[in-house]
Amino acid sequence: MPPVVKYAIAGFIVLNVVIGLVTYVTLLERKFAARMQSRIGPYYVGWPHGWLQPIADALKLMMKEDVVPTAADRWVYNLAPIAFLIPCILIFATIPFAPGLGVADLNIGVLFFLAVSSLEIVGLFMGGWGSNNKYALISAMRAVNQIISYDLPFVFTALVPVVLAGSLQMSAIVDAQRGLFGWYVCTPLGLLAFVAFLVATLAAENRVPFDILEAESELVAGFRVEYSGMKFALIQLAEYAHMIGTSFLGALLFLGGWLGPGADRWLLVGSVWFLLKAMFVFLVVTWVRWSFVRIRVDQILAISWKLLLPASVLLLMATALMVALQGPRAG
Amino acid sequence: MPDRRAPEASAGAATAEAKAVRTLEIGYGGNERLVMNMGPQHPSAHGVFRAILTLEGETVVAVDAVIGYLHRCHEKLAETLTYVQYPSIASKTDYVSAMTAELTYVAAVEKVGKIDVPRRAQYLRVLVAELQRIASHCLWLGTWCMDMGGALGGGATVFLYAIRERELILDLFESLTGARLLYGFHQVGGVRYDLPEGWAATCRETVALIERRLFEYEAMLEDNAFFLVRTQGVGVISPELALDVGVCGPLARGSGIKYDVRTAEPYSSYEDFAVKVPVETAGDCYARYKVRMAEFRESIRLVRAVLDGLPEGAISSRPGVKSVGQVRIPKGEGYTRVEGARGELGCYLVADGGPKPYRLKWRGASFSNLSILPHIIPGCKIADVVAIMGSVDPVFGEVDR
Amino acid sequence: MPADGFWSETAQLVRAVGRALSITFRNFWRPPVTVQYPTVKRVYPDRFRGILALTYDKETGEENCIGCRLCEFICPPQVIKVEMLKAEKRNWAKTFTLELYSCEFCELCVQVCPTDAIIMLKTFDLATADRREMLLDKDRLHALGLQHEPSWATGNRLRDMQAPPKPAKAEGKAAGKAEAKEPAE
Repeated sequence: MPPVVKYAIAGFIVLNVVIGLVTYVTLLERKFAARMQSRIGPYYVGWPHGWLQPIADALKLMMKEDVVPTAADRWVYNLAPIAFLIPCILIFATIPFAPGLGVADLNIGVLFFLAVSSLEIVGLFMGGWGSNNKYALISAMRAVNQIISYDLPFVFTALVPVVLAGSLQMSAIVDAQRGLFGWYVCTPLGLLAFVAFLVATLAAENRVPFDILEAESELVAGFRVEYSGMKFALIQLAEYAHMIGTSFLGALLFLGGWLGPGADRWLLVGSVWFLLKAMFVFLVVTWVRWSFVRIRVDQILAISWKLLLPASVLLLMATALMVALQGPRAG
Repeated sequence: MPDRRAPEASAGAATAEAKAVRTLEIGYGGNERLVMNMGPQHPSAHGVFRAILTLEGETVVAVDAVIGYLHRCHEKLAETLTYVQYPSIASKTDYVSAMTAELTYVAAVEKVGKIDVPRRAQYLRVLVAELQRIASHCLWLGTWCMDMGGALGGGATVFLYAIRERELILDLFESLTGARLLYGFHQVGGVRYDLPEGWAATCRETVALIERRLFEYEAMLEDNAFFLVRTQGVGVISPELALDVGVCGPLARGSGIKYDVRTAEPYSSYEDFAVKVPVETAGDCYARYKVRMAEFRESIRLVRAVLDGLPEGAISSRPGVKSVGQVRIPKGEGYTRVEGARGELGCYLVADGGPKPYRLKWRGASFSNLSILPHIIPGCKIADVVAIMGSVDPVFGEVDR
Repeated sequence: MPADGFWSETAQLVRAVGRALSITFRNFWRPPVTVQYPTVKRVYPDRFRGILALTYDKETGEENCIGCRLCEFICPPQVIKVEMLKAEKRNWAKTFTLELYSCEFCELCVQVCPTDAIIMLKTFDLATADRREMLLDKDRLHALGLQHEPSWATGNRLRDMQAPPKPAKAEGKAAGKAEAKEPAE
């Protein structure tokens, strides 16, 4: 079989798995949040416990009328959801779910992931601008400010495991975390980097306490406010896919990826461990999301430039110093 | 685009305008101002309220408040309904804090008609007013945190916790009167319902539970750097500004003015309870938050004191309503004021000897409180507008009547 | 180098974040407070003010309503319309309509009724897609009164609860006070 066809099939499978995962992660988040708020969450659709709720939501969004504002900039408005979706899905191409199980285990995997995931800001701004709506415009401006400021600490903290492992290839980073307490989160520098990574993820994902750009109570859905129907579904899909993608990255870089008892013998067990770890990261982010009020955009930027960026640069330099003094970590 | 300047007069406005001017000088480049509408359909407008904001980037340069979307002609309606019919309508002015709203009207009628109220009824009125204050502050805390934190976020969590506690108090009111939000509990001369069996015990349990949960809310909010950075230094009202504009309630008490109608002009036997009035001096949103949290605890203490000292006796000095024109008030006029959850709620009544008032005027606490907005909002960011609106806690039934 | 305040502030931030997270975590394990209506209905208190109904006399089985129109006059939004039918021994109500879609549920009509004819029920479940079904006529009101559980309040009970105790003789006073204060369940 020519490699192109092989990659196409692998890509297709991964795409479907990711989309399915994303829809059910929304259900997980809703149930989790509901329990934290003394209520039940989706229940009746797909009784009990709302198992069919994501399917119902998807069907609803597909059947909704697609309302396009008259004064909207047609091309920009219509292309924005796609421009937003493509980077968020493309990042899954480089994630290995198990040794050998992935679309493309590039030897610059982490770099590709970080670079492509930053491209979503283009789609976001297109959406805000093309809607011809003041709320959307303000939200888009805030988004550009915030996401660009937080992509820097995001990159620097993601580079800490790269330096520790000595390679940009994701499977190499996972292999470097073998052994008992070999996960990078168990080392002091790795733990600090993980915490900083989580904070930067929260901000780069527009999650509370950094969700000023969608600020329901101020800007009512921010840049998405003029979208309805399938375009809105695409935007939601892209946001949650990006969220899951960064959870997978966090699990891979810091929590040891697919490593776990039985992972070396059966591929599927490794994938299950990976999924569990990624869900753990996702749930921690969700837990923080449902516990705090949001902060203002100038305070968000102050935290990034005055606190998080210097801290992550210092962490990276300390890691580099440690590695240079000790030699690359073995095993 | 019209060049709107922030209105002048008073120290607060001067500093706010100075801050806005300084922001412009730092370098916003052009004078490209965006006029944006916040409301009347808006998730955080606290009702139907329209604020026309003039923005330079993220900073609000001017605000123009438009009210009147909830005007239901209460004052004219009162002229067409008798003293017997209107109390259950009066609760619809400040519908979140309905007991104090009814009390205002009924106390005005009793003052003009010189009607006595038996002690048990007075104590029951204090009891429900304080329980209502707790319920109203639960709603305030929940909606304020939801505005600041988002409907999908930590704010919604605090909102649901606060509503969970408020539901307990509404259950108490339901077993007392039969209704959960708009009660019709007061009548001229006393109250309509007496306490059922076992109500006092349930009330004590509920109040004890709420006291424990208050510690949870404070733990979630008070030390939290995110919350502090959103509320401290935001929306500062100086004491002079507060007195000039005429704000009342927790807004004035958060700025250092020690005024509470319950101690200044005690009504309905409040003089039997030594009400401790909480006062903070900072004048920002955080100070108003602390004032209301202290009022929570004070109301809980008052509820317990009332239950301990509740005398026996009649619950009304006039027989129960049997006909629509039963109450006739001789000619006279008078004004009563009541400490509602939002401030001083007042009712000016002119009676002409018949069963209906000649003229009724409501002094809405939120109406006066909203006048502070053009003085403290210019110079803030959009997010601060939301925080300030929440700490002002308007209810548009009072504002528009 | 960052000042001392920096570390204590950071420590305080970490502690505050931990406290908030622990509160949400604690609530995660509490049972939800949702009452899953309509599978589960909560217990309505005795004085619940639900939809209105007309009653029959317990002993004779006749309609209680004498068509006196006191409820019509007192209703603040004027939703009740009654026509009286005069007869020799007692009067009746010829027609009795109540516009439930405008009713405020203030219980004033129940309060004034001299014969305890109109009462409120312990149910509110009357949602329909057609507003005309909420314009209740006399037959419908009587049928509702037979179908659902009445709440505690009737005109005489409310007025007895509100009436100031009448000055009575010494031994009668104790008994009278006990009755006037008795909040029947």
